[in-house]
Amino acid sequence: MRIETTKTADETIIAIEGDIDLYSSPELRTAVLKAVPKATAGVGIHLGGVSYMDSSGVATLVEGLRSAKENGKTFVLVAPSISVMKVLELARLDSIFEVRPA
Amino acid sequence: MRSDDIGLQVSSDPRLLGVIRGVIQVWLDVFGLVPDRRHEVVLAVDEACSNAIRHAYKGRTDEAVELVLSATEKWIEITVSDQGTPCPSECSEYRPLVKPAEHELVPGGLGVKLIHEVFDEVRFCPGTTNGNCVTMRLRRTAKHEVGSED
Repeated sequence: MRIETTKTADETIIAIEGDIDLYSSPELRTAVLKAVPKATAGVGIHLGGVSYMDSSGVATLVEGLRSAKENGKTFVLVAPSISVMKVLELARLDSIFEVRPA
Repeated sequence: MRSDDIGLQVSSDPRLLGVIRGVIQVWLDVFGLVPDRRHEVVLAVDEACSNAIRHAYKGRTDEAVELVLSATEKWIEITVSDQGTPCPSECSEYRPLVKPAEHELVPGGLGVKLIHEVFDEVRFCPGTTNGNCVTMRLRRTAKHEVGSED
């Protein structure tokens, strides 16, 4: 898994490529929970390059969303891959997140 | 184990989960499972292996996770076992997946629910002193397999 964080005027974008699983999700969790409080308006998690995501990845996104709400920031999933959407749908969490295309 | 079953023993190192997923995926290809079902089965088996690493072995990376992959005309069956701390039976109970209300939204606790969601039959067998075992069975039906007739 590779993570790249970039900042625009309003938003911090965390772009992820590869597999999010038990091995890689702690690194993602650190990046997300670090970025949320520092973001100007909010955080976008770009998931277009994610080939696989397990429940630890889902838990990381849920944690990010909760942190964003607590910090008064937005939290958006950007261009999630089919694989990511399938897991979110299976977990009945697809409508919990705000999603936007790239 | 039957002669055409496949047995795998993998270290409880989370870096190897990708290897397990790759093997399961290739094995499922033999039975022509449609891509959606294949993805779900790979996910559920990955969750079972992750549970062994996280909960039974408490993150120790030098223990053994064992898998037996088996297929008959009617069933695809995968068993994942470990020799770690037995998980309390309430951890493996069936709980349906439902959309949570905002105040109920908590990270974690999804793995076992996903396993129950994906497979037709799931049997957890925690040991009395050590070890856990989960057998997951998927009924083979035409709608799950490419090229089969309904």
